[in-house]
Amino acid sequence: MNPWEESLREALRRKAAPEGFADRVLARIRELPVREKRPWFQLRAFIARPALRWAAAVLCLAIAGSVAYREQQERQRRQGEIARMQVKQALRIASVKLNAARRMVQQVNQGTAQNRL
Amino acid sequence: MTTPTLDRCEEPLGRLARGDMSAFEEIVKEHQSMVFSIAYHYLHDRSLADEAAQDVFLRLYQNLASIASPRHLTFWLRKVACRRALDMARRLPKAPPVSLQDIEEPAAESADADPLLSEGLRRMVASLPKNARAVVILRYQEELELAEIAQILDVPLNTVKSRLERSLGILREKLHRWSGGVTR
Repeated sequence: MNPWEESLREALRRKAAPEGFADRVLARIRELPVREKRPWFQLRAFIARPALRWAAAVLCLAIAGSVAYREQQERQRRQGEIARMQVKQALRIASVKLNAARRMVQQVNQGTAQNRL
Repeated sequence: MTTPTLDRCEEPLGRLARGDMSAFEEIVKEHQSMVFSIAYHYLHDRSLADEAAQDVFLRLYQNLASIASPRHLTFWLRKVACRRALDMARRLPKAPPVSLQDIEEPAAESADADPLLSEGLRRMVASLPKNARAVVILRYQEELELAEIAQILDVPLNTVKSRLERSLGILREKLHRWSGGVTR
């Protein structure tokens, strides 16, 4: 800072507030309308706290994560159910085919036996 | 720099959060000089500055929940003090241009090295364009960096630089005329 700026700094040095300043501020606060003390305003002030905002953000993230996890689980369960039903259907078809083949084998065996007699 | 230390202010803020109103009084006493001085150097009127500073603390009381830390508190007070002073200055009738011959000899004993020069400079600062005034006050009263001033006034850094340069030019010229061409 050059001497000229130093003079400016000197001139703009902080001044003491007038006598009784804090008391006048507190008196004006006591005169504030009662609405400031109503539950809604207190709730609003409470909600406006930065820590609470962070907590709310974390809670929202946790809820969103939980919902996404449940969705994923449900999707997997549904896919498993479809696969199970497909396996059952395949087994049923295989069983019908095997029974038909067994019957055919039995008929062939019976025919051979009658021919020998 | 006369920024209140964090330790001195952290505690009242914590107590205030727990509903202890005596902590608010401590905060007012801690910062009243800073807020009053910003308003006084802006308006150059003690009673108007008193009123403006009271308004700032009233607004602080209504917005206590949004104050996150002592550092934030100081930043908030400076910002609102500048805005309140600017609002009041806008509502005032346009002041006549400052004539340095009007400056009276200080009656009371002053702490200034050159009371007449200091009073002259204060008047000159109060006669600067309204937006530039806050830059000079924050730079020389609060001794803030230009980037901090830009944050408080919510303007680009280059705007702060140009306002400061222009203001210093005006002040230097007025002072030069006042001192009869003898520069300091």
